Order: sequence, then C-alpha cells, then structure tokens
Amino acid sequence: MSAEPMNPSATRRDWTITMPVALLLLAAALASGMAVPMMIASSLLLSLALQAIIEAIFATSVGILIKQNGRISFGQAGFYGAAAYIAALVVERELASPELAIVLALVIPTALAFVLGLLIVKIPGIAFAMVTLAIGQALYEVAYKWRPVTNGDDGLAFSLPDTVFFLDSDIFLSPASMFIVCWCVFVLILFGYAWLSKSPFGQLTEAIRDNPERAQFIGYSITLPRALIYAFAAFVAACAGVLFSLYNGFVSPSIAHWSFSGAGLIMAIIGGPRLIWGPALGAIVYFWIKEVAGDYSDAWPAFVGAILIAVTLLIPSGFGGLLVSLFDRVRRR
Amino acid sequence: MLIQVLNGIVYGGLLYLMAVGLVLIFGLREIGNFAHGALFMVGAYVAYTFSGSYWLGAIFAFLILAAMGVVLDAGVFRPLRRQDHMITILVTFGILLVLEAGVTLVFGKDIRSVPAPALLSGTVNLGGSLFPAYRLFVIAVSFSVAIGLSLWLRYTRTGLYVRAACVDPTTTAVQGVDTDRLSLLVVGLGAALAGLAGAVAAPLVAVSPSMGAFIVIESFIVVVIGGLGSFGGAFVAAMLIGQIHNFGVIYIPWAATTFPFLLMMGVLIWRPTGFAGRRI
Repeated sequence: MSAEPMNPSATRRDWTITMPVALLLLAAALASGMAVPMMIASSLLLSLALQAIIEAIFATSVGILIKQNGRISFGQAGFYGAAAYIAALVVERELASPELAIVLALVIPTALAFVLGLLIVKIPGIAFAMVTLAIGQALYEVAYKWRPVTNGDDGLAFSLPDTVFFLDSDIFLSPASMFIVCWCVFVLILFGYAWLSKSPFGQLTEAIRDNPERAQFIGYSITLPRALIYAFAAFVAACAGVLFSLYNGFVSPSIAHWSFSGAGLIMAIIGGPRLIWGPALGAIVYFWIKEVAGDYSDAWPAFVGAILIAVTLLIPSGFGGLLVSLFDRVRRR
Repeated sequence: MLIQVLNGIVYGGLLYLMAVGLVLIFGLREIGNFAHGALFMVGAYVAYTFSGSYWLGAIFAFLILAAMGVVLDAGVFRPLRRQDHMITILVTFGILLVLEAGVTLVFGKDIRSVPAPALLSGTVNLGGSLFPAYRLFVIAVSFSVAIGLSLWLRYTRTGLYVRAACVDPTTTAVQGVDTDRLSLLVVGLGAALAGLAGAVAAPLVAVSPSMGAFIVIESFIVVVIGGLGSFGGAFVAAMLIGQIHNFGVIYIPWAATTFPFLLMMGVLIWRPTGFAGRRI
C-alpha cells in the first residue's frame, strides 16, 4: 500500500465537480433509490438489499479511518452496537421520545469516539489496531454482561410508537419504505464524505496521514483533526447501527462483537479503502460471497480470509481500484 | 483471598505466555501478529487430539506450533518485512480467519473439553484452603518460561542478538548477525509459546474454534500497557491484568472485562509508550 500513490485521483486527470453538478448527481442518486422498490416486488429481496446497504454504511465508516487517517480499526462495531442499543433502550424504557432516542443514539457514540480519539489517534499503526479492538470489545462486553440494563445475551426487543418524526413508524418496518430510508441515508453519507474528503479539512487530515511531523511543523494540530475524523467515522457507524435497530426492532450483543468489526474491515479492504465508494462496493462483494460460499460450507470465513490476503497483497487498491484503472484504460483508447 | 490472588496469577501467567510471543514477533519483525489467538486455539486443539496423554499433547502443541511459526516467518513475515504495517495486520487477520475456519472444518464448532492430567487432578492444601494442583502447575509453567526466557536473553549470545535485533534490526544485521535466521528461531518460539499456552489452558477453559479471541484481546492490552517490545513490561503487565481481571470477575462481574481496558486507557494517557517501553 505504501508503494501506491496515496491519492489515486491525483495521478489521473482530476474531474472537478462543481456544486450544481454535485447537487444534480445527489438528486439523481436519491431519486434512483426511490425507484428501486417500484421495480422489485419481492420484499425478501428488498430486505436483503437494505441490510446490504446498512453494512455498506458500516464499511464506509471503516474506510473513512483508512483513507483519512491511515489507520485500521478493529472496533467500529462497538460504536455501531452502542448506537443500536441506545436507540433500543431509550425507546423500550420510554426514557425519551423516539426522535430524541435517535438523536442520542447518534450523538453519544460520536462524542465518545471524539474523546477517545483525542487520546488514541497519536498511537501508531499496530498498537492503534490493538487499542481499537480493545475499545470495541469493551463496548461489546458492556452489552453482554450488564444484564439488568441490556438483557445480556437474550437481547432487547422494542416496538416503535405509531409516529416517529411525524411519519408513520411502519415506514421503518416495511422493507420497501425502509429500503428508501436506508438508501437516502447511505447516499447522503457518501456525498457528505466525498465533500469532507475534498474540503481543506479533508486534505489536511490526508497530509497528517502521510507525514504527521511535517504537518505539525507547518503549524497544524495533528491530534484534533484526526480525532474529528475518528468521531465522524463513529458517527457513520452509528447511523448504520440506528438503521439496523429501527428495522429489526431487536438488538443483541453479537452486533457489537469484534468479528463484525473485522467484517467491516474486510469489506473496506476488498472494495478499496482509498475510494469514497470502495468500502460500499466491498460490502456488496462480501455480502455476495457470504450468500454464495455460505451455502457450500461452514468454512466460508476461510474463503474470505484467503480473499483478504490475496487482495491485500495483489491488488492493494481493492476491487474498486481495479474498476477505476480498467475504466481509465478504456477511456484512454 | 490467597486463592483469588493465585487464580489471578494463573490467568496472568497465560497472558504472559501469549504477550511475550507477541513481543518477540514484534521485536524481530515489527509485525503485530493478529493471528496469535488462532495459534493459541490450535495449540489447545493439538492438546485435545492427544488428550489420551496430556504430556504428549503439551509437547506436541509446543513443537507443532513452533513449526507453524517457522513456516509463518519464512512464508509470510519475511516477504512482508518492508511493507506497511497495515498490510501485515490485514494478512495476519486473514490467517486468523483461515485457521479458525480450518479448525471448524476438522473438529466442528462444538465445545470440547480436555481433562487435566491424572497426576495433577487433585488439590493442594494451602494454609487451610484447597487449590487445584493443575493450576499450580500452570503457574509453574509460566514462571519457568519467564525465568528461562530472561536468562536466555541476558546470558547467551543468541539472546544478546535477539535483544539487539529488537532495538534495531538493520544495525544488528550490519554487525554480521543473520537476522533472518534469528527471526525463524524467535517467531518459532513465539508461536510455540502461544501453542503451549493453548495446551496448558485447554483443561481450564472450553475449547472451541473461537476461543482465541478473549485471550488475544487481553494480551494486546498487556502488550500495549507493558510497552510494545518490552519483555519485562509484558510480565509485569500480564500479572497486573491477571489480578484485575480476576478480582473484577468476582466483585463486579458485569464490568470486569472493561477494567483492563480502562487501565490501558489510563496508561496511554499517563505514559503513551507504556510502562517500560520506548516505542509502542
């Protein structure tokens, strides 16, 4: 990965996308998602698709840390799970209105990640991965062991009141409408992430990623921007967690387990973490491998592991990077 | 009270066997071995396979894992030594998945148990309270490894080379030490200790393909607290975490597993390189 140019777009002709074009693209992306449930009648298929989208959002969260901070996290499922649990707990115990529950479920993990980020972003690669693993597992253990509150391994079921955000809460339960909700969140996150990545702040974090000493020497704080990225990544994971929680109406500790963090990492890597949409592509590939290889054998993780090793060593830019270079080759003809 | 402290030392000893392997591998190869928990698990399954004779199982766990370590070093770590840390983390994570799935394929997902050897199945009377003899044996194993390892590192030529290579592999190589051969030995030893830890832990825990996860996470915490690359730090931190874990489980079970984590965060704030370490 170190031999690769850090920012693949810099080596190609940069397409400058102006604001109106971006907004047009955004509108088109949102609209195309709305059309999908009209074309696909099978609610099973839609349900699978919306779960894939939630995992794509989650994978994007892992990808943000890799692209902007150059760091691997083994603990993003902790924030995903925390958000899902907070939403579930607040609604089930009627501690606050469901709207507030959703806001809290997004804000608390983000704030937690920001505070933790201030402490840990300076830690170099290997130790950072270990520390995030410990953070994720600590959150998992809280869900698993704090029985009086979280119900432990049995999980926590809840039902939404009739209306949420002035909308009929059935919207979050029926696959057709929930698909649109997830799709819109996903598209907004990707656009927000693309904008952030292009912004001066995004460029600054990439500069810190490539050479922290020099960035510090120029006069930038190298802790705060990276902590903000860590918080942003946690926010994205929290969005995925809330969507999961709303759709399923049930949370259990397994969603915060480190193996899910690992799955998110694999998705990001095989899809291409240096691309905005790479991790999402990886999530779809992963989902597909799980469905296909899972039918043949219980040992499908071995297959995933082998693919992870192969992609890491042979195509460090991931399947997404492969697509981009193919596309470039065709265009140059 | 004494019993609780001893139980903590048992767990700390296992953590030490794991952590010191991680430190050895990191020292020579600058690789954070995320597959270390899988090596622990394979060690336990080797002991299960030989459960007719416990001693044979433990010896084979050590030897087979040593061989795996040598293969791992020659086949994976050496080619990757100039690569980014990120790549080695991902590749060792991939190896973890492959090993776990491989063991699942052979032995299934069911939980297995390994009996303690007949010789040590009794209890020992320690000042009025009974303590399983096998647990004392675990303590003895980890302490012997700790003592043997420090003597080896301090008083032999190879030990000197290992310490030198941990500080600066390049300069050590320039001085005429074959660091690649050294690293075969050291990674083999690190893996063998993980296998030994797995075999020794097998009678105490439920043996399953995912059993490596719990211990490897706390081993990582130990390594971070002790300072990545510090052998003495690993021992002190392992004993500390062993006690904290154990007392936590008894008195505040629901929060027990977060204490080592909180300690780690505390250490990171107080001394970002760990107790003993220069580098992390």
